[in-house]
Amino acid sequence: MGCKVDYKKINKILTELSKEYDIYAPKRFLKAGRYSDTDIIRYDIIEKAEDIVFDEKSDFPAKEVLGPITQTLFYFTEDEYRESKVSSKKILIFMRPCDINAMEHQNKIYLQNGGYADLYYQRLQEKVKIVLMECSKGWDTCFCVSMGTNKTDEYSIAVRSENDGWLVDVKDDEFKKYFEGEETSFDLQFVEENELEVKIPEIKNKAILTKLKTHPMWKEFNSRCISCGACTIACSTCTCFTTTDIVYDENGNVGERRRTAASCQIDGFTDVAGGGKYRTTPGDRMRYKVLHKFHDYKARFKDYHMCVGCGRCIDRCPEFISIVTTVEKMAKAIEEIEKEEC
Amino acid sequence: MNKDIDVKKTRINNFRQSKVPGEFMLQLRMPGNLIEAKYLDVIKHIAETWGDGLFHVGTRQTLNATGIKYENIPAVNEYIEKYITEIEALSDVDMNKVGLDHQEWDPKSGYPTIGARNIMACIGNKHCIKGNCDTTGIARKIEPLIFPSHYHIKIACAGCPNDCVKANFNDFGVMGVSKMTYHPERCIGCGACARACEHHATRVLSLNDKGKIDKDTCCCVGCGECVIACPTGAWTRSTEKFYRVTLGGRTGKKDPRSGKLFLNWIKEEPLLQMFGNWTKFSAWVMDNKPQYLHGGHLIDMAGYHKFKEIILEGVELNPECLVAENIYWAENEQRGNSHLIPLEKHAKAGPR
Repeated sequence: MGCKVDYKKINKILTELSKEYDIYAPKRFLKAGRYSDTDIIRYDIIEKAEDIVFDEKSDFPAKEVLGPITQTLFYFTEDEYRESKVSSKKILIFMRPCDINAMEHQNKIYLQNGGYADLYYQRLQEKVKIVLMECSKGWDTCFCVSMGTNKTDEYSIAVRSENDGWLVDVKDDEFKKYFEGEETSFDLQFVEENELEVKIPEIKNKAILTKLKTHPMWKEFNSRCISCGACTIACSTCTCFTTTDIVYDENGNVGERRRTAASCQIDGFTDVAGGGKYRTTPGDRMRYKVLHKFHDYKARFKDYHMCVGCGRCIDRCPEFISIVTTVEKMAKAIEEIEKEEC
Repeated sequence: MNKDIDVKKTRINNFRQSKVPGEFMLQLRMPGNLIEAKYLDVIKHIAETWGDGLFHVGTRQTLNATGIKYENIPAVNEYIEKYITEIEALSDVDMNKVGLDHQEWDPKSGYPTIGARNIMACIGNKHCIKGNCDTTGIARKIEPLIFPSHYHIKIACAGCPNDCVKANFNDFGVMGVSKMTYHPERCIGCGACARACEHHATRVLSLNDKGKIDKDTCCCVGCGECVIACPTGAWTRSTEKFYRVTLGGRTGKKDPRSGKLFLNWIKEEPLLQMFGNWTKFSAWVMDNKPQYLHGGHLIDMAGYHKFKEIILEGVELNPECLVAENIYWAENEQRGNSHLIPLEKHAKAGPR
């Protein structure tokens, strides 16, 4: 069962909730897009229902709430340090099923990988409650059904945005008191079919993987990919970051440590002390990203591929490189290699 | 051929004399350089009915038909009434205010003046990924301020300082620019903006040792390459539009030159106020008697300071706007020292 709430009441509820929660949702930033007179939709704290963009996909993913692009971790003075502070409020995030499923990946990497929980992620993640934004159609770059991420039941509240208000389904008792309204049926919908489909090929053995790595298909990206990293910043599942110490004094004794999102697509990502460089061409970097997302990750964690099919990488790529087409090309290359082996 | 033709009159009527005696080329104005494709039927009909079947894309973005016989000019003029009325209405031009004395326009008589040329424009941000403004839109807003006037002026609007439309070689070049905001919290220190700025623009960005960007604001041309290059949206354009205006550019056999930067970071309203003073300035220089002289020459005659005084009269400049205190012209004389002539032959400005 659900209930119908008009916008006046929703905004009262949001105001009330804001006392306890920082409410994050996809918000429109006018004329802040890549090209003149285009907008950007990204996550930010919202105050009222009208701030939330329901009818368009956000350009950037929900992961930015818990993993901001730049984050100060701690401040140091000589032999002491103090952790940075975060808002004392709890966190409520409006997310579509793809972003909710992506949070699983984020949680796994930040909280479980290597048997160590990342404190700076954990302290935010612990405070999160989820509002599911009903997503029943998707857009022409979505392929969530192929990735099995079109559905979820991980939410406290589910919302369908309608012209005169919201249809709301409250699962979490904590929020029930806010939504005492007229009961009405709310049959929550999920995307059942995308325009875009992809079948992830299986790489059966190491010999095939080795051959795939040197397959000429990756060379195409040496001329097409500009290594900007927009795909990984827009990616719902990517978590790579780098740390930088910002020193305030000449001796380097006082300062802060920041972490900043990093991208395997940007030149310099594999630079190591001593001058080593491992993936020096755009093709190498693309190969690494695609294999990591559609083979290595699953091979390691034995669960699912590192992609939720949100399609934001396709939307944001200034060179129109589609991950779906790239995976299809990889499938064809694998077929070729398998035929050669026979 | 025995014809008695006043070619100055046909020229004012936008029919250009041909080397073939008795033939002319019609120039259809297309201010802002963007019209519905259906109007191609108009030029096609003219070329095939009265012309030689050929069509020339005019160098100032006009639709031209060659080989029109002098005796057919009245028929062509009657035919283009609809085109002129519809196209000029896009810029809200009042065709009944021809020249200084606001003569009434005879719709069957074709174009009333060749003075103010149709304002040129690149495709601008309607299409172009580099454009910072709606070039057609701004061109159409300037049009009614300068047309239909017998005072000659050439203006072009570029979407960005790359200036594909060559606004730099017009009396006034209007270029869409933007004031960029840097959001350091979204910056990943990849340096893409700094590389783009160095490659395409003026090298005002650099990556600092904190993994963020330093900017030399002074030399920023406002082109937006940093915004285009940024993978995270750490650079955004201003929501308001700004323009950079070059002055006194021209081609010509005598003294071609690229325009000089006259105004920077001017907003739309004061920009239009400034163009609203153009007729007044021209009238002052030529003592209310229009001659076939382009804007840049009028500025030369009056001197930059007199020009500045009249053209900025009553203009409420936005606080960000910078104005050239002086302009140090640098002609590209086709003949060395062509500007050195006897004093008594110098052109004189002002009342006489």
